[in-house]
Amino acid sequence: MNTMKNLSVNRDATWHLDQPYNARHLLIAIFFFVLLAVTGSRMEVPRMLQETAQGLGYAVGLYEESSVATGVKRIAESIWPLRISEEIEVSRIENFDRNNLPWLSHLEIIESRTPHLNTETLKLEDTVESKEMLVKPVGYLAHVLFKMMETLEMALWGTILAVLLSIPLACFAAANYAPNRFIYNLARSTISLFRAIPELVSALFLVLAFGFGPIAGFLALGIHSAGFLGKFYAEDIENADRGPQEALQSIGAGKIKTLWYGVLPQVLPQYIAYTLYILDRNIRMATVIGIVGAGGIGLELKGRFDMFNFDHVGTILVIIFLTVIILDQFSARLRSRLM
Amino acid sequence: MLRFDSVYKRFPDGTEALRNISLHVPKGQFCVVLGPSGAGKSTLLRMLNGLSQPTEGSVYLAGELISEQSVQRLRRKVATVHQQFNLTPRMSVALNVLSGALPQVTHLRAGLCLFPSSLREKACHLLDEVGLTPEHVSRRVSELSGGQQQRVGIARAFMMDPAVLLADEPVASLDPRISRGILELLHRQSRNHDTTVLCSLHQPELAREFGDRIIAVNHGRLVFDGTPEQLTDKVCEELYHGALNREHGMSETAPSASESELELAAA
Repeated sequence: MNTMKNLSVNRDATWHLDQPYNARHLLIAIFFFVLLAVTGSRMEVPRMLQETAQGLGYAVGLYEESSVATGVKRIAESIWPLRISEEIEVSRIENFDRNNLPWLSHLEIIESRTPHLNTETLKLEDTVESKEMLVKPVGYLAHVLFKMMETLEMALWGTILAVLLSIPLACFAAANYAPNRFIYNLARSTISLFRAIPELVSALFLVLAFGFGPIAGFLALGIHSAGFLGKFYAEDIENADRGPQEALQSIGAGKIKTLWYGVLPQVLPQYIAYTLYILDRNIRMATVIGIVGAGGIGLELKGRFDMFNFDHVGTILVIIFLTVIILDQFSARLRSRLM
Repeated sequence: MLRFDSVYKRFPDGTEALRNISLHVPKGQFCVVLGPSGAGKSTLLRMLNGLSQPTEGSVYLAGELISEQSVQRLRRKVATVHQQFNLTPRMSVALNVLSGALPQVTHLRAGLCLFPSSLREKACHLLDEVGLTPEHVSRRVSELSGGQQQRVGIARAFMMDPAVLLADEPVASLDPRISRGILELLHRQSRNHDTTVLCSLHQPELAREFGDRIIAVNHGRLVFDGTPEQLTDKVCEELYHGALNREHGMSETAPSASESELELAAA
């Protein structure tokens, strides 16, 4: 009976339940509405919506014309068919050896007719110009794949550089292993600085220093991802179980040996997972970093784009797309096995 | 071998962990430290491996004062067996035992895990002494049971031929049957290696069985110092129940699992 008494409602107390919303919430809602309205008009969101709708309407036959649709169509037409083969004029090849052709290639004579006006007869005449071409049926595809390989190597070396840079940085940036406050702050701010510089920006400057090519690319990737890895590694060192570290410290093992035997075995699986993630990310970044001249497939992409060789661009984009898909599958599987 | 000279320890938050402790432990003695949780047992032990420094007074190890300058050198003479074993979880049993000799190897050898063959032989010998089999060597310690992990911990502790062994509640996280086995092992090992042991425990009956000498601390004070025969049930009663009542009064910490275990054991 005693419990019943405790459960009964106290009649004297005044109860009241507030509405879930009040003036403050309304104010916040108005603020966000104004923010969306202002930024949306600056970003031309209405025009985007209108033209996209027009393009979709054109696709299903509701509209006569659409600038977006014609743009997309033009791109699609110029990309398709993808460029797989490569043709080189024989006369342009130095030291051409007719008896020793490169693998998987053959010679073709291509006749091109160019109409021009005969000034005497005042009639259009065709002049036939024949060129001997060396045709490699999968030449361009092979070239792109070779460039993709270089991109992957850039990503690999960027990751190796990042690991090498971030391990000492992480030890100094872990509060419990930093020799003093000054070095701790220095390491922390270096890591933040590395993370704050986008690869594309640092690559621009590194291209000036090291010239066009993969050196600038992998240095830029390495520096930026060292900013991430350093932070992750340092946090793991700080959060590692203190017990084993204390046990080694109490026998006088010293900081380096304690890190090696008391911390590293604990954090290793995490480190591998982080490093794989960074490798994955670096591969994706390496494909674009060439656009500023830092080697890899991006350099090829940028060159072809500037020459309006959209069929070449198409091949490059397809290869990038396939590589990223394959790598995604691969790294997801590898990481799930490790965790 | 071990000497405490009127040692005080105050923490920054004002609590006094140790008050005027003076103690001398001769070489080769197995000295058990009893006392309820929070009485200062761990602090007393941590003074000896330099993980804690006295606020006042001085601690001597083999006649040498433990100070900033000497602590790194003196630590090599002191080994510790921990309550939570404090082994590196994902590392193999072999490397965990070998890591007990880390101060003796160069950084290069340590980095490459190339321990000299004398140390490797010693590790095998110790693993055999603590009752593990060769098939345990390459297994990760996290795969072993608690009792086996503590055996690895004991093997690690003896890697440097310590003059002093500190055992900080070595059996508090083990069940009673395994506890006895572990303490028997500790006792035998310290006899064979002529090691001075300071071992904190919760179970008075185990203390009586294995200690050459028993001391008890409560509220940072040395409240009992004598032979196992002098530790009568009455003394235990006073030590624990007096302490428990006072602790409830101060509403400091709830009695931990090990204390309730102890009440059961006393009943």
